[in-house]
Amino acid sequence: MLWYKAWLETRARFLVSLGGMVALSSYYIYNEAQGVGKYAGLDWYYTALHTGHGLIAVMWVAAVMFLIMGGLLREKVVGTSSFTLSLPVSRARLTGVRILFGLSQALALAVIPWGAMFLVSIVTGKATSIHQAIFHVVLLAAGGLVFFGVALLVSSLVEGEYTAPAVSFGILFADVIALGDRPLRAFSAWNFMVGSEYFNRRTELLTGSIPWIHVTVNIVLATLLSAIAIRVTDRREF
Amino acid sequence: MSDCPAIETIGLSKSYGRMEAVRDLTLFVGSNCLTGFLGRNGAGKSTTIKMLLGMVRPTAGYGKVLGRRIDDPAESVEIRRQVAYVSEDKRLYGYMTVEQTIRFTSSFYADWRTDRVAALLRKFELPLDRKVKSLSKGMRTKLALLLALARRPKLLILDEPSEGLDPIGVEQLLECLVAQSSEGTSVFFSSHQIEEVERIADRVCIVERGRLLVDLSMDEIRQSYRQIDLVFPFEPRELEFNLMGVESVRTEGCQLRVFSSGNTDGIVERARAYHASSIEVAPVGLREVFLGTVREKSDALV
Repeated sequence: MLWYKAWLETRARFLVSLGGMVALSSYYIYNEAQGVGKYAGLDWYYTALHTGHGLIAVMWVAAVMFLIMGGLLREKVVGTSSFTLSLPVSRARLTGVRILFGLSQALALAVIPWGAMFLVSIVTGKATSIHQAIFHVVLLAAGGLVFFGVALLVSSLVEGEYTAPAVSFGILFADVIALGDRPLRAFSAWNFMVGSEYFNRRTELLTGSIPWIHVTVNIVLATLLSAIAIRVTDRREF
Repeated sequence: MSDCPAIETIGLSKSYGRMEAVRDLTLFVGSNCLTGFLGRNGAGKSTTIKMLLGMVRPTAGYGKVLGRRIDDPAESVEIRRQVAYVSEDKRLYGYMTVEQTIRFTSSFYADWRTDRVAALLRKFELPLDRKVKSLSKGMRTKLALLLALARRPKLLILDEPSEGLDPIGVEQLLECLVAQSSEGTSVFFSSHQIEEVERIADRVCIVERGRLLVDLSMDEIRQSYRQIDLVFPFEPRELEFNLMGVESVRTEGCQLRVFSSGNTDGIVERARAYHASSIEVAPVGLREVFLGTVREKSDALV
């Protein structure tokens, strides 16, 4: 029933985010497809898809930062932590369920809007390859996992109902600004998410194979951040 | 009836920096007993309860609830499986309805009683389909109580349970607590409402500045504590009545008021030896015991 609680707690945020992301990204691509006249090349449309991907990435990060807002520290502020902590459940399990549920929502927010964009591109007769779609989604999800981990850790360290997402956004901006230039760009989770290092400006496509090593590193980093968050929550006093 | 005490602490302490919230608390709460836990604001009642339930770690000392250690995480989960708890703030998830809250909570406990839920819903008049955030404070309190009383726990711990309840709600609560106790549940509740504690408690513990001052049954309190009013033909010296059993002495001119926890005969004998012109011995209620004990001991504990 902890999953049930997590769903009830986040369903409004999740459904609004999902609806908004699907609507905005689909409309953007549909609009661009209409704008691609018979004299313009598909490469222009591919640029639009990549821009659409960037749009999804921005919305995704914002949605996940607000979705992962919660946990025992926020419950302490709103006053429900005593009730939650009186349940016969370990803190590790409480946090673990929250992480897994949040992760499934985050993945849904990456796959479904991109899937909608892909469907729109098929319907408008301007389909990109499925490999490109998968490549984009993998970059979004794997890069985004780092921000997921950061938001999770911040929510277990920072008290205040809305302070944690504010701090997480601050970290995102720091990533964009501090790691925006070469050679540090390779370390930027944001740049990885939007595929800056893999985007070919001539073909307007992501090139090369999916960087599984970098994906694995991001997954390991996100796992480490989550483990720290579980440990911090376990040790904290309420 | 179990021989294992419901709650057992030895030297339990909790400090936050220099501030000692709970100091060297040694407490034994028997099973199948209704125990009131009294103290002023900031005396350490809620901190003690939170330590018992694993929400806060003790700085020193040792504690067991239903025979399980409070400082062991795995045992703490088992404690919470057998204990029903109502917190001081009684906050519940605002995004759930009453029905969803009941369904969510019931999933964690094997001792959940559906028949009891139905009876309590009728008694407390709680609307199933209303969201918790739109309930009044009193109705939230009743829902929190329902979630605890709908089980057959071995121990019921309540922190200020009557706060926010109207007089009818308070009566319903007291009836439920007595009923739970008669069914074998140990009840341990903190309260500022001394009259409520006096009505239903078998035993009373009084804490002040984190220290346990009194741990007696209500019968012992009624038998032991006395207020002795003395009148002398001269102004008496308080020091002359610094005897065993004297908790506090107050003088006003030629009148002396002694609050005692025992040795009444010895005090009366001393008063006669000092030619008291009037000696009146009266039993005291729990309120006087609380005020007399806490006032007198508070300065000594600083």
